[in-house]
Amino acid sequence: MAMAIDGTEFELDFSSYSSTTTTTTTTTTTATPTTSTENDRGCNWNDWSPMVDWEALSGAHDDFQDLIDSMMDDGALMNQGIRLTPDTSNSMSTSDTLLVDEETSCSDDLKGLRLVHLLMAAAEALTGLNKNRDLARVILVRLKELVSPNDGTNMERLAAHFTDALQGLLEGSGSIRGHKHLSAITNGPYHHHHRDDPPHHQSDVLAAFQLLQDMSPYVKFGHFTANQAILEAVADDRRIHIVDYDIMEGIQWSSLMQALVTRKDGPPTPHLRITALSRGGNGRRSIGTVQETGRRLLAFAASIGQPFSFHQCRLDSDETFRPSALKLVRGEALVMNCMLQLPHFSYRAPGSVTSFLSGAKTLNPRLIAMVEEEVGPVGDGGFVSRFMDSLHHYSAFYDSLEAGFPMQGRARALVERVFLGPRIAGSLARIYRARGEEGCPWAEWLAVVGFQPIKISFANHCQAKLLLGLFNDGYRVEELASNRLVLGWKSRRLLSASIWTSPSDPYL
Amino acid sequence: MFHTKKPSTMNSHDRPMCVQGDSGLVLTTDPKPRLRWTVELHERFVDAVAQLGGPDKATPKTIMRVMGVKGLTLYHLKSHLQKFRLGKQPHKDFNDHSIKDGSALDLQRSSASSSGMMSRSMNEMQMEVQRRLHEQLEVQRHLQLRTEAQGKYIQSLLEKACQTLAGDQNLASVSYKGMGNHGISDMGGMKEFGTLNFPAFQDLNIYGGDQLDLQHNMDRPSLDGFMPNNDNICLGKKRPSPYGGSGKSPLIWSDDLRLQDLGSGPACLEPHDDPFKGDQIQMAPPSMDRGTDLDSMSDMYEIKPSHQGDALDEKKFEASAKLKRPSPRRAERMSPMINTGGMPQGRNSPFG
Repeated sequence: MAMAIDGTEFELDFSSYSSTTTTTTTTTTTATPTTSTENDRGCNWNDWSPMVDWEALSGAHDDFQDLIDSMMDDGALMNQGIRLTPDTSNSMSTSDTLLVDEETSCSDDLKGLRLVHLLMAAAEALTGLNKNRDLARVILVRLKELVSPNDGTNMERLAAHFTDALQGLLEGSGSIRGHKHLSAITNGPYHHHHRDDPPHHQSDVLAAFQLLQDMSPYVKFGHFTANQAILEAVADDRRIHIVDYDIMEGIQWSSLMQALVTRKDGPPTPHLRITALSRGGNGRRSIGTVQETGRRLLAFAASIGQPFSFHQCRLDSDETFRPSALKLVRGEALVMNCMLQLPHFSYRAPGSVTSFLSGAKTLNPRLIAMVEEEVGPVGDGGFVSRFMDSLHHYSAFYDSLEAGFPMQGRARALVERVFLGPRIAGSLARIYRARGEEGCPWAEWLAVVGFQPIKISFANHCQAKLLLGLFNDGYRVEELASNRLVLGWKSRRLLSASIWTSPSDPYL
Repeated sequence: MFHTKKPSTMNSHDRPMCVQGDSGLVLTTDPKPRLRWTVELHERFVDAVAQLGGPDKATPKTIMRVMGVKGLTLYHLKSHLQKFRLGKQPHKDFNDHSIKDGSALDLQRSSASSSGMMSRSMNEMQMEVQRRLHEQLEVQRHLQLRTEAQGKYIQSLLEKACQTLAGDQNLASVSYKGMGNHGISDMGGMKEFGTLNFPAFQDLNIYGGDQLDLQHNMDRPSLDGFMPNNDNICLGKKRPSPYGGSGKSPLIWSDDLRLQDLGSGPACLEPHDDPFKGDQIQMAPPSMDRGTDLDSMSDMYEIKPSHQGDALDEKKFEASAKLKRPSPRRAERMSPMINTGGMPQGRNSPFG
């Protein structure tokens, strides 16, 4: 796979404490317009007394063997005193760190570039034509010396998680229990035991979720877009029934209930019924079980005066959805809600999702709301190109978090560690196992299978834009189809929300 | 070409006193005959202007030549061009215009000859824009309410989880007074709820400088054990606007409504930012101050601790900032959850 990595296009984030502009840039290898200010700032380090002789370390390496060698040699140099992690909460040290960061930002660029090179090399070594597991191992060891998932720049932390993921693939595919290990990785963050990582502490998960909610619009975008479409679809109904594929903590429904309670047109405060699909044994929830979510929602509904009832519907052991297991009531407006791949969500196997959506067809719902990750073009579909696409994807994610909260590196590191890291591992494992097979986006699947798109209303689109306006300028929402809004960071599309209804011909 | 066309009678505002002259122009039968700028004539005019490179480049003379309409004088064109040019610029008393004939809005009012309306289609587009503006404001309001509802829900979620983790029922009941069983009061009683503000988390500074939470009478000492080492998590005293490295002011946030993105603006209505902007900024705070629920919720959103010196730039924007920052406080509340055990200090700590 040929990927042009042009040094000039590749820029690294560094914490911005200047009030001039948002200085984040993507750390991806695709072309991003660089601004002269970034370059200027990056090169100001010349004014400072450098801590290390960076001249010796710069220069492109075409042959990655040489690259490795050079890394081995000057690795000692690079590790010296560059990173000052703030050990105290003192703001002084933080600004010191920032000063150092600016000083080394030029080197950060180089280092980031090196990391990408190394990662790509490792990915190639693992799966490329000249498969060489030993080489891959060596590269990964080298990478691990350079990066840590908790400190450093965005690129470094990201590289750490990718390194970890690759390591998992290396080990997983080599051992007898490889398959099992891989499936452990792919099953989501909550029972993902990767090497020595303990399962995340409940409090960490809570904290990380809260931070994710605050720092980024992803979760809200998904929820609010779906909710607005639902509200519009059921404007004249007295009874609403929502079947939620993956209710998690039920946060989406709090704002829907609020909207229902205060709605002006149509029958006032319709009755809301939510059926949550629950999974069997291995569904270890993030914060409590589906039952707890139900209780919470009931309490909330009571507090705002929303008539509400809650049901559970068990999925089979293989997480297949059977429409017959659902209790339906005549006269209610049926809505199927399918949130997949929000940052804090667990992975759901395609078979399960398919069963849900196929089941939806037979049920003839008023509306289907689908929120999913937006994947980039995958080139030749090989592992390396998809690996790089994944790198691009998550680096945009990291950047988006940093853009809003440049100072809160630790908070972001927590979110990354709790949610994104495991996702990266799982995602890579899936790509690794399934290389060559491309899953299509669910929106596409829905269209092919015969669901009809429902137009995203002006109000909905407007809401999305307003929501993003509360966050950083770099977020953008695009209307890629009449029924699909896509949230992206700068040039990278990240999350897609699409709205459908059952096919007009029930026999389709 | 134009000569051959009959003047359209599309305009519902055709006054019966108009007659069609030989040249095809519609003239009124006032004592002083005035040219009536019909839709087609105006479109022709606009075409000609466009051909000539825009209203600033075009002159009455050249327009006349290009249009080639008999009976059209320089005088007609001069005044019409002037109005056209004005119409392309922000117009302050835009909204003051009374609605003529029930459905038309004059785009410009000038002391020059009355031209009724520029064109009906423009008026329609204009109304569309206004309608969308109203809708946008509605959306804004709803977004705020929904965000707050979600925030309330999440708070209950966290508190419940916190209780579970603390594992101490007594503690819970002391800490979160007024919460009752599930701790969710109804909207009207949210005052209590709001002031509780999840104090435990505030001590750990995700967003702020060192804080000693002095505002909540809860049993602090017993929570101390629960709170991790503050030192590790503090990330700097200065708190920039969490929602934008560029530190947008909420007033500017109104601008982000970005009317031009509405996609419905006709060319001459693009500069509507200005007349509308004033409205937006005025309207935003009142809508946010409306209702007790919003006020109480503001407790959750305010930047409370007084020692956060430099973050207080934003205090004055509090009123309109309610939508803007639903949750920095909540992040603070989260902090004790962050297990420092899970966070290696140095970069060279064992990886993985």
